[in-house]
Amino acid sequence: MLKPILLVEDNPNDLELTLIALSKSQLANQVVVMRDGAEALDYLHRRGEHATRVAGNPAVVLLDLKLPKVDGLEVLKDIRETDSLKPLPVVMLTSSKEEQDLVRSYELGVNAYVVKPVDFTDFVRAISDLGIFWAVLNEPPPGSQRYIKPPKN
Amino acid sequence: MNKAINAELLDLSNCAKEPIRTPGSIQPHGFLLALSDELTVLQASANLGDWAGCSAAAVVGGPLAGVIGEDGVQRIVAQLGPELGSHPFYAGTVGIRSKRHFDVLAHRWDRVTYLEFEPVDRAEAADFRHLYPLIGDFLLKVNEAGSIQMLAQQACEHVRAVTGYGRVVAYQFDPDGHGHVMAESLEAGYHAYMGQHFPATDIPAQARELYLLQHIRLIQNADYHPAALVPALNPLTQQPNDLSFAALRSVSPVHLQYMRNMETLASMSVSLIVKGKLWGLISCHNRDPKPVGFEKRTACEQLGQILALCIESREDARELQFRLEVRRIMVAMLAGLTQGSNFIDNLSSVFPDLLRFARAAGAAIVVDDRILLHGDTPGKEEIAALVDWLARSEHGDLYHTDNLSRAWPPAAAMVRNASGLLALPISRIHKHYLLWFRPEYVHTIEWAGNPREKEAADKALHGAPLQLSPRTSFASWRETIHGSSVRWHAGELELALEFRTALLGIVLERAEQMAELAGELGRANKELEAFSYSVSHDLRAPLRHIVGFSDLLLESAGSEDAVQRQRFLKNIKESARLAGKLVDDLLSFSQMGRAALRPTEVDMNDLVNSCIHKLAPETRGRDIEWDVAPLPVVWADPTFLHLALSNLLANAVKFTGQREMARIRISADDHAQETVFHVDDNGAGFNMDYVHKLFGVFQRLHRMEDFQGTGIGLANVRRIVERHGGRVWADSVLGESASFSFALPKHEDEDEADDGAQADNPTKQ
Repeated sequence: MLKPILLVEDNPNDLELTLIALSKSQLANQVVVMRDGAEALDYLHRRGEHATRVAGNPAVVLLDLKLPKVDGLEVLKDIRETDSLKPLPVVMLTSSKEEQDLVRSYELGVNAYVVKPVDFTDFVRAISDLGIFWAVLNEPPPGSQRYIKPPKN
Repeated sequence: MNKAINAELLDLSNCAKEPIRTPGSIQPHGFLLALSDELTVLQASANLGDWAGCSAAAVVGGPLAGVIGEDGVQRIVAQLGPELGSHPFYAGTVGIRSKRHFDVLAHRWDRVTYLEFEPVDRAEAADFRHLYPLIGDFLLKVNEAGSIQMLAQQACEHVRAVTGYGRVVAYQFDPDGHGHVMAESLEAGYHAYMGQHFPATDIPAQARELYLLQHIRLIQNADYHPAALVPALNPLTQQPNDLSFAALRSVSPVHLQYMRNMETLASMSVSLIVKGKLWGLISCHNRDPKPVGFEKRTACEQLGQILALCIESREDARELQFRLEVRRIMVAMLAGLTQGSNFIDNLSSVFPDLLRFARAAGAAIVVDDRILLHGDTPGKEEIAALVDWLARSEHGDLYHTDNLSRAWPPAAAMVRNASGLLALPISRIHKHYLLWFRPEYVHTIEWAGNPREKEAADKALHGAPLQLSPRTSFASWRETIHGSSVRWHAGELELALEFRTALLGIVLERAEQMAELAGELGRANKELEAFSYSVSHDLRAPLRHIVGFSDLLLESAGSEDAVQRQRFLKNIKESARLAGKLVDDLLSFSQMGRAALRPTEVDMNDLVNSCIHKLAPETRGRDIEWDVAPLPVVWADPTFLHLALSNLLANAVKFTGQREMARIRISADDHAQETVFHVDDNGAGFNMDYVHKLFGVFQRLHRMEDFQGTGIGLANVRRIVERHGGRVWADSVLGESASFSFALPKHEDEDEADDGAQADNPTKQ
């Protein structure tokens, strides 16, 4: 069973484009979409609306930097400060080339930082490469596999 | 400078142990009696027999009448009131057994009444009347005299006319105590001293003190043999009598030798006391012994007082004039200094005034390692070294010298243009100085005798200078002074300190302005950062979307999915629209920071109505209940305030979009310092956890598809309100209501503005 990819994106256009790009990469992973940082954290912590979801971390989080309410950096910080979420690969997806965002992201322990290319072909390739690397090629740290449990039903 | 004199005086007074106040004897051209309160003779001068025909020893212990007879006692006692003081007072003229007549001067000091008897040729009382015309004439001349020197000249002429001395000079003491002969009246055959200097050492400190206490002294014959007091000690105190105020007081033998060396057997000096200080002396010399009667001495004393008063008023006027001029220059400079933004540049722009201010030939501004020069100054390296020395030494708020190389030997290399230095530190922390330089003033001093020669002779004779051995030569001797500048005037120093205070004020104000400016710049920078961040982030997104969906559209050109194509097209259109709106909003936001506010009276009711009217296209078809409370008039920029209010009302309209019945209420609270406005709605509200992000640029608390917006509106509101000196805040119950508030400070001059408005339009209430 492949772990899902968690996509956190509030902008509907970006969401659609990213989903199209992911589908073009023909990844078999399920893509879970959260529309803002607060919701993403609820999902990861299995609380609120997501209290009942199956335990286990996604294969990778594709995290938009600018999100309403709780932004990408705050989500990243929360992930790195939570023991059970710490090993989770996080890729920051952003329109920003601002150095401060980049520096801050790496300080907080991001695994990759990707500036969304303006050109759509490049965008598709970037998303596809990301998906393949993190969801397929990347060997997760030992132990993280244990979180994957077969669905109950 | 004063310190230097004091130190010198102190030093001299330590050396000069001569008991000039308690010589134990008198000059023999009269006789003296010391009396108890009961008029018993306590002491008498040993020369009593010469004048009164009875021995001193015989009268001591007896009544006054034993010396001057009952008649004399009657005549004198009537004058000896309880108010008898230390100043000798003419008590009358008495005849004594030998039929000689004497003027009697009385004074009381140390519990003793002193009577001094000076022989006169007349039998009747002294008459001052024939001296009045002389004084009257002097007073007339005083009014005509143009300068202090001319005044002194007149005084010398008059004193010589009254006394008949061969030479009368007036001399003025310089700050170092040297006397300079500034006026002179001579009888033919007398050597002239005009223009010459007498060294300070000629008059020991205690002699100067006596000159202050007693304004006239007479030495009738320098070859006199002093008459001792009998008994030698005051019987009441068992101490030598203090004869400071006695007209007949015997003087120091050193001084008598000095007079003989000067070929002057009679002398008289009148103190010129200006503002409580010994300004100078009128000094009278005569080759042969010469008596001067009490009434003539009194006339001379009065003349000296009048002269001193005139000097005081002229010096005051001159000083005032000088200070006024310096102050005028200072004020002009300060006005110049507050003009531009760069303080240092400003200072260098008033360089010519800086020179005139301190009557200097060169000036320098030193700001750490930067040195700006003007006029005739030493080189930058020399000045840097000088400033290092200044910074190392504790000089307080002001340092000045008229002989820099004496204080700091390396300055010997720059005596030409920097013999005089006035240094003003303008920072306690940094090496910031204002420096003025005065060039070397090479001048010659004509001494009446070489003052160094005496020291040298004393040294040769005794191995050390002997202060009390009088010099023997009064032959004029020229000394050329090198390495010093014109002295700094006390007024210049005081005003320099004042200037420093003003400078520090300006510097401080500048620093405050800079801090304010830095704060403003900091804010502007932050906004700029947010701006460029937004341009790179938020503006890039819609462009990417346009490109992305266009590519997808091209890709799907052949496909049958018309619905998808429609959506792509719609996305492109929306993204383009959003990009346009973003650019507009960003522009308006950036303008907000630049445009000047033009505050005026704004009627908030009108403003709200106009905003609601403008919102009509967006509210069409909606059921909105507007509840507008009576609103006050505020002091604000109407255009900006309109924008802020529009944003708030548009927000309320937007976030109540999912309500069947939208209720929007606009109200105001009046407070002492500010007016608070609220815009309340029953819309979607927001999560209070994120309220701190609400007013940030490009911060959105809702998803794009739920509520459209660029995230600039509330940032604009905050910016506008803050530029008015106000504040904004918000409150909400998520899903139920939101309340946005802003406070505008009340205008300080609002009352005046009201008055003005009423004056213009009396019918307005």
